[in-house]
Amino acid sequence: MDWLFREDRYEPGSDSLKFIDKSLMSILKILSKIDRLGGQRRGILYGVTPPLKLISTILTVVCVSTSRDATFLLSAGLFVLINLIMLEKSDRKRVLALGITASSFSAVMLIPSMATGNIINSLIIVYKVLLTVSMANILSVSTGWFDVSASLKLLLIPDIFILVLEITLKYIYLLGEISLNMLTALKIRSIGKNNNKYSSISALMGNLFLKSKEMGEELYSAMECRGFTGEYKRVLAFNISRIDAVYAIIVLALTAAYF
Amino acid sequence: MIEIRNISFSYKDAPALKDINLYIAKGESIALIGPNGSGKSTLLKIINGILFPQRGEYFFDGTSITAKRLEDNAFSKKFHKRIGFVFQSSDSQLFNPTVYDEIAFAPRQMGLSEGEIERRVSDLLKLLQIEELRCRVPYHLSGGEKRKVAVASVLAHNPDVLVLDEPMNGLDPKTKRFLRDLLIKLNSHGKTIICSTHDFEYVDGVFKRAVVFSKEHTIIRDDEYGRIISDDEFLYENNIK
Ligand SMILES: Nc1ncnc2c1ncn2[C@@H]1O[C@H](COP(=O)(O)OP(=O)(O)O)[C@@H](O)[C@H]1O
Ligand SMILES: [Mg+2]
Repeated sequence: MDWLFREDRYEPGSDSLKFIDKSLMSILKILSKIDRLGGQRRGILYGVTPPLKLISTILTVVCVSTSRDATFLLSAGLFVLINLIMLEKSDRKRVLALGITASSFSAVMLIPSMATGNIINSLIIVYKVLLTVSMANILSVSTGWFDVSASLKLLLIPDIFILVLEITLKYIYLLGEISLNMLTALKIRSIGKNNNKYSSISALMGNLFLKSKEMGEELYSAMECRGFTGEYKRVLAFNISRIDAVYAIIVLALTAAYF
Repeated sequence: MIEIRNISFSYKDAPALKDINLYIAKGESIALIGPNGSGKSTLLKIINGILFPQRGEYFFDGTSITAKRLEDNAFSKKFHKRIGFVFQSSDSQLFNPTVYDEIAFAPRQMGLSEGEIERRVSDLLKLLQIEELRCRVPYHLSGGEKRKVAVASVLAHNPDVLVLDEPMNGLDPKTKRFLRDLLIKLNSHGKTIICSTHDFEYVDGVFKRAVVFSKEHTIIRDDEYGRIISDDEFLYENNIK
């Protein structure tokens, strides 16, 4: 046992930790997105009541995808632009990046159609993709996930389904955090050459699976202890403010232009 | 009120409780003491109708609690309303999108009006001094905050019996003292408190009776809390102190 009480002289051989680092990074990235669940941010668009935003977004997306009217499409473009301006800088960047990526993809896919002379129509489609993807992402960055899931109630999605959705979100977060901790633990103990990283990772995944099963069972008993027997009522609380009224009028005006 | 008769329980591969007998009257405050793995959590889960013993019987207010009995939704709700359980790990207990919804979960299950629920939640946020957490996501909170939310969410259905599994674990001294005072207050208002612990700091004054579990999963002593706690030789011998 005396080895434990003596100091070691140890120089590690070279070994790349890239694999673990990469997995750590990708998990961190997902987590940072889910963290938005709770965060509260300033800005007019962030203050619009979520159910209104959800319904408006769906409405405008449907209108944009079915419209062939130039005036409407241009005013929808203006609407998206105004929305973008009201976002925070980092959010604006993300929305733009995603919108541009999606529309470039569709542009590439439409190259054959453009080559056969269908240029205007193809460009309209690319433009529509840009608009709809941006609108969906504006909703996503300016609204907490739970606000969106609660708003689903207005679309007549059953409450119990919303509960399942929300618990799923929780688990993505919790399991992400657990795997992050396990990976970190693996990393700080990887002090030598470990040629067998993949098997460490699969052991870790097995652990995660058992853990999630256990957590699920315990959660269910915790719910039962608080009177859950299969019925659930998600309460949707929202109040209409002046910002909401303005937002609603703008969206209504926009949809009016559609007809 | 709670009567445990000759209960034995084993998990697939390991025994957890052997021939346990226990009677707990209304208004008692009782500590379950014992080393890790002695079966405290298992007994608490049986008391809450989460696990069911392979042998022996459990009566709550004279009614035998079995898996079959709890399949009856009306009975299950009534039973769980009267007994509240704060889990050892708060993570498994918190599943709502906000702290407000978390605390409101049980009252909503009970069908209270939103006005009454609002009042209960606000009172509890104040009682536990977590008013600023109202709109936060429960599982982003720190360990101590989570524990407080878990306690609030259990108190929300106003149970007669409050069961806590090592509630002091991982709390800072101030929060421990706060929780101790809360337990004393609840007990003085007639709530029955059942609490597992292996930590005697910060719990003085909470318990009147203690039940000691051995590592062989049996009860080896059932006595006044003060008498057990001052019996250093006994505690040391049984890996409690
Ligand atoms: N889910 C489980 N599956 C298998 N064995 C378990 C499980 N939970 C607890 N045990 C075992 O049962 C025994 C009692 O555990 P527990 O009631 O959690 O003890 P305590 O709460 O006093 O620390 C321990 O030996 C433990 O390893
Ligand atoms: Mg335990």
